[in-house]
Amino acid sequence: MNIIVCYKLIPDSEDMVIKPDGSISLDQAEQVISEYDLLAVEAGLQLVEKNGGKLMALSVGTDKLLNSKSKKDILSRGPDELYLVTDASLANADTSQTAKTLVAAIKKMGDCDLVLFGEGSGDLYFQQVGLQVGELLGLPTFNAISKIDVADGKLTVERSLEDEIDVYSISLPAALAVTTDINVPRLPSMKEILKASKKPVVEWSLQDLTITGDGKPRVDVLAVRAPKSADRKRIKIEGSPEDVAQTLIGYLSKEGVL
Amino acid sequence: MAKEIWVFSEKPALLAELIANALQLAKADGASVAAVVVGNQQVIDQAFAQGAQKVYALGEKAADVLLDDFIPTIISLTKSKTPALIIIGATRQGKAVAGRLSAALDASTITDAKYFNQDSGGIEVTHLIFGGGAIRIEKANTATVVMTQGSSIVDALPPNASAKGEVESVPFVQPAWKATLVERKQKPPASVNLAVAKKIVCVGRGIAKKEDLSMAFDLAGILEGEVAATRPLTEGLDWLPRERYIGVSGATVKPDLYLSMGVSGQAQHTVGITDSRVIVAIDKDKEAPIFPQADYCIVGDLYQVVPALITALKARK
Ligand SMILES: Cc1cc2nc3c(=O)[nH]c(=O)nc-3n(C[C@H](O)[C@H](O)[C@H](O)COP(=O)(O)OP(=O)(O)OC[C@H]3O[C@@H](n4cnc5c(N)ncnc54)[C@H](O)[C@@H]3O)c2cc1C
Ligand SMILES: Nc1ncnc2c1ncn2[C@@H]1O[C@H](COP(=O)(O)O)[C@@H](O)[C@H]1O
Repeated sequence: MNIIVCYKLIPDSEDMVIKPDGSISLDQAEQVISEYDLLAVEAGLQLVEKNGGKLMALSVGTDKLLNSKSKKDILSRGPDELYLVTDASLANADTSQTAKTLVAAIKKMGDCDLVLFGEGSGDLYFQQVGLQVGELLGLPTFNAISKIDVADGKLTVERSLEDEIDVYSISLPAALAVTTDINVPRLPSMKEILKASKKPVVEWSLQDLTITGDGKPRVDVLAVRAPKSADRKRIKIEGSPEDVAQTLIGYLSKEGVL
Repeated sequence: MAKEIWVFSEKPALLAELIANALQLAKADGASVAAVVVGNQQVIDQAFAQGAQKVYALGEKAADVLLDDFIPTIISLTKSKTPALIIIGATRQGKAVAGRLSAALDASTITDAKYFNQDSGGIEVTHLIFGGGAIRIEKANTATVVMTQGSSIVDALPPNASAKGEVESVPFVQPAWKATLVERKQKPPASVNLAVAKKIVCVGRGIAKKEDLSMAFDLAGILEGEVAATRPLTEGLDWLPRERYIGVSGATVKPDLYLSMGVSGQAQHTVGITDSRVIVAIDKDKEAPIFPQADYCIVGDLYQVVPALITALKARK
């Protein structure tokens, strides 16, 4: 079976700089694969290992995707091929623009049985792109998938909802977004890292694709800023464990919370 | 047609909160509030009791039918009526409804919207990005705006059992595809509702072994509070059930006392605790990001501090 896994490259939030006026800068941030997408990659990898076929990774964004380190990073995690769609206009794409671009790319990539997504992107965390792509492609589409098995051309999946776990039988092709605990992604081995630079990479521009619609965002971003941190007392309590305990109890009774 | 704001949630308690929020927003420009309901007469009556002025009744859902099977009906209804706004309960199924609906409408959902702010040009909302590390103010520009709202953002109104309104029955649209429900395993009922806890003892990865959680439960017992955790302890380690974790993707809490042990204080976690009245942090790393966010900072080994605290509290009783 042929599987496409969609992953996003995001700025590492550890490198976020908060400026004195409360605005934030990510200009210097390193680009990393969104953490939750690694679980979608691992899920795809386990399926092709068991059932044969190939795993194709797909991402859309700016030319930061073309960085050789980023390409090697994703390919060393198992995908056989990499597809990248880049355009400067995708820098602040909303979920609708991202989904339409992914749909156009998936159609151009040809036959595929399953499209996998992470639970949500580590930066925007809308948890929407996978559902939108699935709906636009007219495929059986589900989120919150915590287990995937394939037999006789059908999928059996577990969907982890708030109060219950549902088990569904779904026909292929399908689009699924996985949970954050579907698996524990393996670390790339030395062998995979060496293999990575030899794998095929296909690079497209928006002009190479047939994208529907006007290309405009459906959601406007009016402001981005750091959260206001509440003024906390930040009182240090030091001493032996016994002293610390007594001092803390003193403070807490004064606060009226004991 | 007068402007309508719609609400949808498969969870009755959350639906009540969505209605309260929609009524607030509707006030600004004389819109009316309609609930899209999958369920029986009782669910419809409840929507009216909570303040809905109209109900679009999609019918009852048989046990082996998925809520997702109703999405094509919701899509066709929304397309034909073009409500100004549809607010969907931010459960996992709610997010599936929102995503597929917004794709069909050529819109884009704002999930987990907070702080709804209505002006003449539309509704601005706050959306957390980078797991709470930053805040974005967003505004959708589509004819129908799709948003999801989580619980505890707006309080539900007291129910008025005698309230009634117009019911419009909506014919079922057969979906183009269906999944077969093979099995449904109920999860054990949630044993804790952190959102209402007055005192919370929160454990993080600073706890070395599952058995050591007993320390946290002992402390919470004396304080008459609940034990909560960071996400890694619930997803991944599986030491505690999911409903016990706090943060962007978990619970938002507002206790009088939040006491953490071995919690580093990453934004994804601490966005959930900012409304706590008093925050106490115990961590052995004096540079831990939790400390600037705490009222009482104890740099030390939790394995020494917590037992001493338990002993001292017991002695007080
Ligand atoms: C998109 C996204 C969403 C997320 N959502 C959430 C969420 O909703 N909730 C959540 O909690 N996390 C969430 N996370 C994970 C989050 O980023 C952190 O990884 C997590 O909160 C860290 O948990 P921790 O503090 O328990 O562990 P660590 O960060 O590993 O911290 C452990 C702390 O324990 C201290 N310690 C160790 N031993 C001792 C000792 N003997 N005594 C005292 N202190 C000790 C260490 O100094 C350290 O500070 C999310 C992550 C992402 C990317
Ligand atoms: N730019 C992108 N390129 C490829 N896949 C993406 C992109 N953005 C989001 N995704 C996928 O969609 C999922 C949900 O993203 P989001 O709706 O932003 O939370 C992610 O986990 C990825 O699998």
